[in-house]
Amino acid sequence: MKESYQKQMFDYLHKMGIENFVGVPDSTLKNFIQQGIDKKKILIASREEEAIGIAAGMLLAKSPSLVFMQNAGLANSLSTIASLIQLYKFPLIFLISWRGYLKNDAPEHQKIGKIQPELLKTMKLEYKVLKNQNWKKMCDWALKKSKKNISCALVIPREFLD
Amino acid sequence: MIRKEAIEIVIEKISMEPIVSANGFISRDLFNIDDKTTNFYMIGSMGLASSIGLGIALKKPKKRIFVFDGDGNILMNLGSLTTIGKLQPKNLVHIVFDNSIHESTGGQPTVSDTIPIEKIAKSCNYKQVFKASNKNKILKILNDIKKKIGPIMIVVKITKGGTAGKRISITPNKIKEQFTNNL
Repeated sequence: MKESYQKQMFDYLHKMGIENFVGVPDSTLKNFIQQGIDKKKILIASREEEAIGIAAGMLLAKSPSLVFMQNAGLANSLSTIASLIQLYKFPLIFLISWRGYLKNDAPEHQKIGKIQPELLKTMKLEYKVLKNQNWKKMCDWALKKSKKNISCALVIPREFLD
Repeated sequence: MIRKEAIEIVIEKISMEPIVSANGFISRDLFNIDDKTTNFYMIGSMGLASSIGLGIALKKPKKRIFVFDGDGNILMNLGSLTTIGKLQPKNLVHIVFDNSIHESTGGQPTVSDTIPIEKIAKSCNYKQVFKASNKNKILKILNDIKKKIGPIMIVVKITKGGTAGKRISITPNKIKEQFTNNL
């Protein structure tokens, strides 16, 4: 996703009521995260599960929250998603990168990238893939889910190699 | 002093202040001794009680938030101590019931017998760190911290023993809803 859209997306989610953005960084999401850092709204955790725990605490205080992470972090977080977020029905929005989306991505990204759609389906974590054209619509979808007390994920493919 | 006795002593000094309790026997004991709508029983997601407590503390700065943790639990999420130490929530009281074993899973050892958790907390910039192993000391610390600024850690040394309390009979969604409504 283009730099300007990532920044607009951060501003939009914040304007629409998301108060906390907690997570572990990713280059795929770096412009989104930078916008949040500039606005002093980002909390960087040491690990994805920790980020989810902090966000769950914020949700207990009725403060709408989003957790961002790499898809490697999604793999780290499966148990926490199942036994905290889904078990207690926390309306958390996940923003997850999709490393390994391109066929010739780095070898360490390929396995998780390949199974990511299946992984999310198996977890019954509803998700939408974001592109330059549809990000706002998909953000609205996620905001609506969270208002209905359902957790969900927005996925941003890594469309570059570095 | 076994875990159940230690929890009984600590909750004497906590009226309706929120408690986030770690999974396993700690949550079960708290539930069986003093079930309240201000208790958040974390029945899964081992390691995350202090992270949940941190999230609440940041959003409710005027309320004192207690975390009932275990040594096995916090050792799974040491990064939480660094985040708490960095963010310095003044209203967080992090109590670790430390028996140097994973009692809920059969008593397997943890490393807290050789690597003291209170030392890690001090290195992570907790403002106040205490250690206690008897009733009088625990009560004195809980009185003293009323005027102190957090983050505070109290390591309560306990011994192995006691039976597992009954499982928590409230649904997770209800635990969340009633806790939120009373926060």
